[in-house]
Amino acid sequence: MVLEQDTEIVDIPINMGPQHPSTHGVFRMVLVVSGEKVVDVTPHIGYMHRGGEKLMEAMDFRQGIGYADRTEYLAQFSAELCYCMAVERLMGIEVPERAQYIRVILTELNRLSSHFMFMGAFGIDAGLFGTSFTYAFREREYLQDLFEEVSGDRLMYAYFRVGGLAWEVTDNFVQRVHEVLKTSQQGIKDIDDLLTTNEIFMARCQNIGNFTADQAIAYGLSGPMLRASGVPWDLRKDQPYAVYDRFNFQVPVGQYGDVYDRFLVRLEEMRQSVSIVEQALEQLPPEGPIIPEKMPRRLRTPPGEVYAKVESPRGEWGAYLVSKGGDKPYRLKMRSPSFCNLSALREMTVGQFLADAVVILGSLDIVLCDVDR
Amino acid sequence: MLGILRSLGMTARAALRKPVTIEYPTTHREIPNRDRAFPILIWDEEHDEPYCTGCHACERACPVECMTVVMKDNPKHATGESKRRKIIDEFWIDYGRCMRCNICVEVCNFEAIGMNNTWAGHELSRYDRSDLVMDLDMLLAQSREKKVEPGLRA
Amino acid sequence: MLLSALMVDMPRWLAVILALIAITLVMTFAVMFATYYERKAVARIQQRMGPMRTGPYGILQAFADTVKLLAKEDLRPASADPITFELAVFGIFVPAFLALVAVPFTQDWIVGALPLSLIYLLAVSGLSFIGFLMAGWGSDSKYALLGGMRAAAQLISYEIPLILAMVGVVMVTASANVSDIIIFQDKVPLIVWQPLGFLIFLTASIAELERQPFDIPTGESEVAGGVFIEYSGIRWSMFQLTSYVNMYVFSLLGAFVFLGGWEWPFGRDVGWGYQLLLTLAKMSLFIVFYLWARATFPRLRVDQLMGYAWKVLIPFALVQIFLNGLVLVYDLPDVALLVTSGLGAAALVTVVYQSVRVQPRRPLEMVSVRARSVA
Repeated sequence: MVLEQDTEIVDIPINMGPQHPSTHGVFRMVLVVSGEKVVDVTPHIGYMHRGGEKLMEAMDFRQGIGYADRTEYLAQFSAELCYCMAVERLMGIEVPERAQYIRVILTELNRLSSHFMFMGAFGIDAGLFGTSFTYAFREREYLQDLFEEVSGDRLMYAYFRVGGLAWEVTDNFVQRVHEVLKTSQQGIKDIDDLLTTNEIFMARCQNIGNFTADQAIAYGLSGPMLRASGVPWDLRKDQPYAVYDRFNFQVPVGQYGDVYDRFLVRLEEMRQSVSIVEQALEQLPPEGPIIPEKMPRRLRTPPGEVYAKVESPRGEWGAYLVSKGGDKPYRLKMRSPSFCNLSALREMTVGQFLADAVVILGSLDIVLCDVDR
Repeated sequence: MLGILRSLGMTARAALRKPVTIEYPTTHREIPNRDRAFPILIWDEEHDEPYCTGCHACERACPVECMTVVMKDNPKHATGESKRRKIIDEFWIDYGRCMRCNICVEVCNFEAIGMNNTWAGHELSRYDRSDLVMDLDMLLAQSREKKVEPGLRA
Repeated sequence: MLLSALMVDMPRWLAVILALIAITLVMTFAVMFATYYERKAVARIQQRMGPMRTGPYGILQAFADTVKLLAKEDLRPASADPITFELAVFGIFVPAFLALVAVPFTQDWIVGALPLSLIYLLAVSGLSFIGFLMAGWGSDSKYALLGGMRAAAQLISYEIPLILAMVGVVMVTASANVSDIIIFQDKVPLIVWQPLGFLIFLTASIAELERQPFDIPTGESEVAGGVFIEYSGIRWSMFQLTSYVNMYVFSLLGAFVFLGGWEWPFGRDVGWGYQLLLTLAKMSLFIVFYLWARATFPRLRVDQLMGYAWKVLIPFALVQIFLNGLVLVYDLPDVALLVTSGLGAAALVTVVYQSVRVQPRRPLEMVSVRARSVA
């Protein structure tokens, strides 16, 4: 018996709704799938929009640091550093050496912490039950313990201030950082053993989401996404800020621009961060001020505008500050790396298998607070 | 297959390590001295009154405007027991809005407010959001009962 | 037979019914223990403790889960096909228990001693894919349908290397009765003579159990919920139960066929206590391996999974059969079996690399940042 019916083959829209099994935050993706291949991707963002930039206009330059934290909740010190750098540049303040070194140490440790989070979440995206997640979070806990001892909070540090640091570090800071570095190196090795050479993991990640260097530059990617595509651009090396020009470190650059390369780039960056922190600990001045002596009580900036950028674990986090004199910014625009990286999602995902869409989204390493601000 | 064997070896090694779990709430981990839980007011044992004079400095500096401060004339000043002319009358902090940024502690001229660095500052679950608004007695309670030494003070 | 083990005179049908009830009860508790143990073992691999609060050391966790699932509301989508939706769980549940009928726990403890029990076991465990199809179709949800189709494809594809590995075993032992296969191994377990067959069996059995790295049907949680997305309460718990009973069945099969069952190394005369202990110990080795693999491996993509079955496992299983045939026809000494199969196993281990089309780990180009001297 032959079925006499006109059949029409349609593409199915599949909704990966705001609630995800994998931990990426509130992000909605509508994939139009034809069989197994993805035909179209529409990301829906804005679930976490809190009007951060408008709120910052009502905060003076000390209150705003807490908000910069909450914008980049995995790489808080990068955001704080960038915000403080912007104001310092506008006011012409010079940060003392010891404060610079401590800032760099904490920012690099924060990079470790953020990349550990990526390793954990990425393992879950690839289908691992949770082993990489627990190893990564064990390391993050040690790092957060250190940050809690120094700044008082486990996630929203609010430790940097315009001109330097808020208060002096603890007495056993150097020794604690050495301990944390040791455990972090063990954690990096654990994740390396678990994932990098695992053939199943490699099969899931290689030749997926390929992005050439030209495409990457055209889409405005930055950070590990850009470096994995073969563009050797790192702000710490090309436009150094703070005291990054005093360290000897290497910048890993990938070749094919696929998901596996991004994973390898981030893994290698963690090792380089460990090396930077060790060098910084050696060069750290044992004593010194953490705030310049002639610090005004109320921070008033002269009128003007400035754009400061840092190499956050996600890419280039920038703060474009426009001030009309006074102690609050007239306009603060935060250039978020996750937002710009996310714009490349469609190009990367179209033509791939359905199961790869999750892996590609995981490799972007987006933070929804950053995308939506 | 060799990479797979390496992964298996890694997990087997990890299975032999000691678990890192701290079994809360049976055990509590130690909190460092500088921990910033929520703000509390400090009691002055010598003069038997709060340090806080109600000068509104913290209220103005708070980024989220979670404090309400009312001051009054200090009855103890008239009798000569205390040097504070004004004393705090009513003080509300909405713990639900507080973002624990430590700015109130930094700007306080009298070192009257500090961040609670004990477990009592963290275990504050309530069933109703309005129960999170703490008034003066609740804020002073911990400092009156036992000496609480907040870590970072301006 | 079972009568002689119990040493009580009763009619055969009564003995069989009692044995079946005993097996079902024991299996239920064994599955509860397996869920508890899995959570603890996987937690230890992840360097944390598993359940600790329900009962001392979390022993009562499985009971708590069961009670919770029994108390849940039995949801049914309005547009689901009633018959297929209802019977799908039974379609998966019944074959697993059917397989336990022909399993010899010790020399005499077997409910139904079939002369071709290996074929019976493989046939019955291959019936379960119908249940998945029924669940996928009857749920009237496109995600369930996708999951069901994938599950059916996976199960059918991996049946074939499983059966071919068993064919190799049957060729060597010249019998398809599991008890005879065990008796054949009184000197040396079959894993020595058939390492390639063992590897194929191991991989195919993980795929049949739908555990990591082959858990596409149940791990669709990336995109949707999988085949059993519309089930809740008792039906869901039956599905979980079946998954663990299947795990026991395959572990027992592997223990009997490849590790020597209750025979090796102590022989036949040691009494049912030791034999039972041996069986359970060897079964536990397999179970530990399944849990270990679950915590370690990411998930394969569907096309990679199918490619692995059809392009790697089946050719290697055929090679194993061919080598067995060569050795047996030309009456070569037994050691030739070991050598040829061992070489085949080594080849399988190295060829896995190529088949999933991975490139070796590529080195990254490292750009150096020159340091300025610190003045």
